[in-house]
Amino acid sequence: MNAVRNKFAFTSFRARLLTFLSALLIPILGGTLYYVNRNNTDYTEETINRYLEFGANVFDYTRQQQAETLITITTSLTWDFGFRTAFAANDPATLFDASLNVLDRSMQNTDMLMIVDLEHQVIIDTALQGYTVLEGTLEELVVRAENSEDLSAEIIGSVNDVPYQLIALPLYLPRQVAWIIGGFALDEVFVNRVSQTVLSEVSVVEYNSMGRVQVITSTLPAADQAALAAQLQIGREGINQQQRISYANGEWSTLLRPLYESEMSGTTVLAVIQRSYDENQVNVVQFRRLLIQFYLLVLAFSLIAVLLLARSISRPLSQLAAVVRRIEKGDYEERVAVQTSDELGELAYSVNTMASGLAEKEKVRDLLGKVVSREIADELLNNPVDLGGEERIVTVLFSDIRGFTSYCEGMAPREVLAALNKVLSTVSNIVESHGGVVDKFQGDAVMALFGAPVSDANDAENAMAAALEIVQTLEALESGLSACVGMNTGLVVAGNLGSSNRLNYSVIGDTVNLASRLESLTRLYGTASIVSAASVEAAPQFAYRELDEVIVAGKQSAVKIFELLGRKGALSPETVAENEQFAAALSTYRLQDWASAREQFIQLQRSCDNKALCQVFLDRIQYFSTNPPASDWAGVYAFDKK
Amino acid sequence: MHPLRIVCKLLGAHGNRWLLMLLIAGLVLPVLVWPSPVAAQSLEVVLSDGDGEPVADAVIELLLPADLRAQFQAPAERIIDQIDKEFVPHVTTIVAGGEIGFPNSDAILHHVYSFSSPRTFNIPLYGRGENDGYRETFPDSGVVEIGCNIHDWMLAYIYIGESQLTAISTASGRGVLADPPAGDFQLKIWHAQLDEPGNVMVRDISLIEGESTTIEVQFSLQRDRRIRRAPSANRNRYR
Repeated sequence: MNAVRNKFAFTSFRARLLTFLSALLIPILGGTLYYVNRNNTDYTEETINRYLEFGANVFDYTRQQQAETLITITTSLTWDFGFRTAFAANDPATLFDASLNVLDRSMQNTDMLMIVDLEHQVIIDTALQGYTVLEGTLEELVVRAENSEDLSAEIIGSVNDVPYQLIALPLYLPRQVAWIIGGFALDEVFVNRVSQTVLSEVSVVEYNSMGRVQVITSTLPAADQAALAAQLQIGREGINQQQRISYANGEWSTLLRPLYESEMSGTTVLAVIQRSYDENQVNVVQFRRLLIQFYLLVLAFSLIAVLLLARSISRPLSQLAAVVRRIEKGDYEERVAVQTSDELGELAYSVNTMASGLAEKEKVRDLLGKVVSREIADELLNNPVDLGGEERIVTVLFSDIRGFTSYCEGMAPREVLAALNKVLSTVSNIVESHGGVVDKFQGDAVMALFGAPVSDANDAENAMAAALEIVQTLEALESGLSACVGMNTGLVVAGNLGSSNRLNYSVIGDTVNLASRLESLTRLYGTASIVSAASVEAAPQFAYRELDEVIVAGKQSAVKIFELLGRKGALSPETVAENEQFAAALSTYRLQDWASAREQFIQLQRSCDNKALCQVFLDRIQYFSTNPPASDWAGVYAFDKK
Repeated sequence: MHPLRIVCKLLGAHGNRWLLMLLIAGLVLPVLVWPSPVAAQSLEVVLSDGDGEPVADAVIELLLPADLRAQFQAPAERIIDQIDKEFVPHVTTIVAGGEIGFPNSDAILHHVYSFSSPRTFNIPLYGRGENDGYRETFPDSGVVEIGCNIHDWMLAYIYIGESQLTAISTASGRGVLADPPAGDFQLKIWHAQLDEPGNVMVRDISLIEGESTTIEVQFSLQRDRRIRRAPSANRNRYR
């Protein structure tokens, strides 16, 4: 685990999956909902707009149709000879009745009829509005007719605050003598008729220059009419654009259609066509609700599925992690109980196999540590194990147990082995305590290395110290056992020996052989140790006694051999004196002064402990006395057998 | 009285239109070259509208004082025919008390009417030759508009003058009174569209013995508030 953890890092697989699901699903669902909703809303808007456009067109069409009817009726009136006669008769009462007849026959297409002379004096007004001369909208109507191609005009305008569809036609007798004005109110009856056709609410409003909106007539309830007047926006843009008006029962899309604009009064009369959004959106709203419910269901199912999935993965993972942690602590017997055949199963299998492998390796390491020294075991375990080796200066120590055979007499083999192991363990421990490495056990013999595989500046001295301790320790056992040690220092090849299947870390070379020979010679010389001159040179802190100069079996060159006596300065005066006596005797021997040498050795043999050593030289003197060596003999003794 | 007028009157009273026209054709030429023993005064009025265009079908009348007027009030008879659903001529002058006949030369029926105050009349549907002898008398001066109740576009004007000193302007806008009395008078000008009250304007005028007087009168025209005949068989809704 990283020490510095990312702030956004997931602490669990479940959180990661949930985040992933959310990041994936919510935008998709949200986006779909948004687009579906928007398209539906757009479609609704479009539908409503079409309805309103249609409504406005029907409003215009109905008005136009009714105007046409009005024109037709009024026209036929002007061509009626009886009417003309009545007009010519200049009898207002008759004309009034004739005009009323026309209204009655118009089937509600006409609400009012006026006859006006060419000077705009009112002759007849069926609505009895009190005009004597035309004014306002009516005057504008007639002026328009006078300026028109066919002397007729139609406008929408207010007459006494009521919006009227008005027409003006000439009365010919046969030249024009008067104007006939016909009109119908765009009133409740009219808006109701349009409303029933277009299934929308229809109103007529007037908008004055002060910005005040007044509802003239409407199919809306009174409260909504007030809301309409309050909310309606009529600007330059407002007239052509649809707007929304809020009523108690929701929003209504609203379309305006200008009907009449009076420059004189500064008022504008507009038709207002309206349709409820909610009514049109019932299906959309229901669809949206269903969609949201469906999405919530999908989300819930996905959530559960993800949680289950996360659990199916994170649970075995946690188990695995726990097991791995225990394995990390060294509990190699731990096994994972995951029985799936997927990747997790594979991982569990691998972890189990790994644990087995680790257990085995640990066993090997343990065993190796027992079979070879820890250093060699580490060397083997930590470095690539291959054949071959390296040249090193090593001090090789051979140790043997003297008297072991008699010690074992009468013992059961198992007891022998136990005893041997005890002694060898002791030796082995001493070697290791001095930085040496037990290379191998050979029966009761131990071969130890100082300087391989690990090297120390004081390898040879360590070896000397170890040798001293081995000898002293075994003597101290008081079991009748004693140790003999041979040591040599020199170049060896250290490395893995053997075949590629079976290796053995060891050292080889003459240095090893000589050490082994020197150990063998201890029996002859009766010493606890024999050390080569090379070792003596490498460990100057110790005191030695030169024993001889020999050519061991199978060798060509002579080597001086020494007995390790102890640490320098730790020798008793007797030992020093005895050493000097021995050195003198040895010197005499080398000078081939056999008689003096014999005297000296015999004398020494009496006083010293090592009678065997003196006996070796006495025997040789005996031999050389009868078989004198060559005149150039320098005192080297050659062994011809091991 | 001019000899031509006597002939005309005699022939007109006879009632034979064709014979009348023949006689007029035979007599016009000699009359025109007839040398006047005394050089008589004449009046020519040239009429133009606001754009300077000549105005046809206007009527000029020299208004005479009552004592002088009687000399120029020979009763007259006029004919306004109906040919191809039009009144012919479009403008007719007559002296108050004169008579006008409205024969029908078309193969269909016509219904001639007038709602004009000088003379209101109504001759219901009649066909060709059915009403040739009928005469309508116009006792009062003024302008009568006649129409046909079947063909709304048919329109003709009857100018009933106080005397016979009237003339109708030609296509070139000229109206000529050949032999008016000399003196200071008023000249009345009427046109159906003349933009004055009653479509009338009056000018003072002096006619000097033996001199030809020419005056130019310009006036603006009103919009012609009448029904136009559809130019083709594709009639619009008002025809």
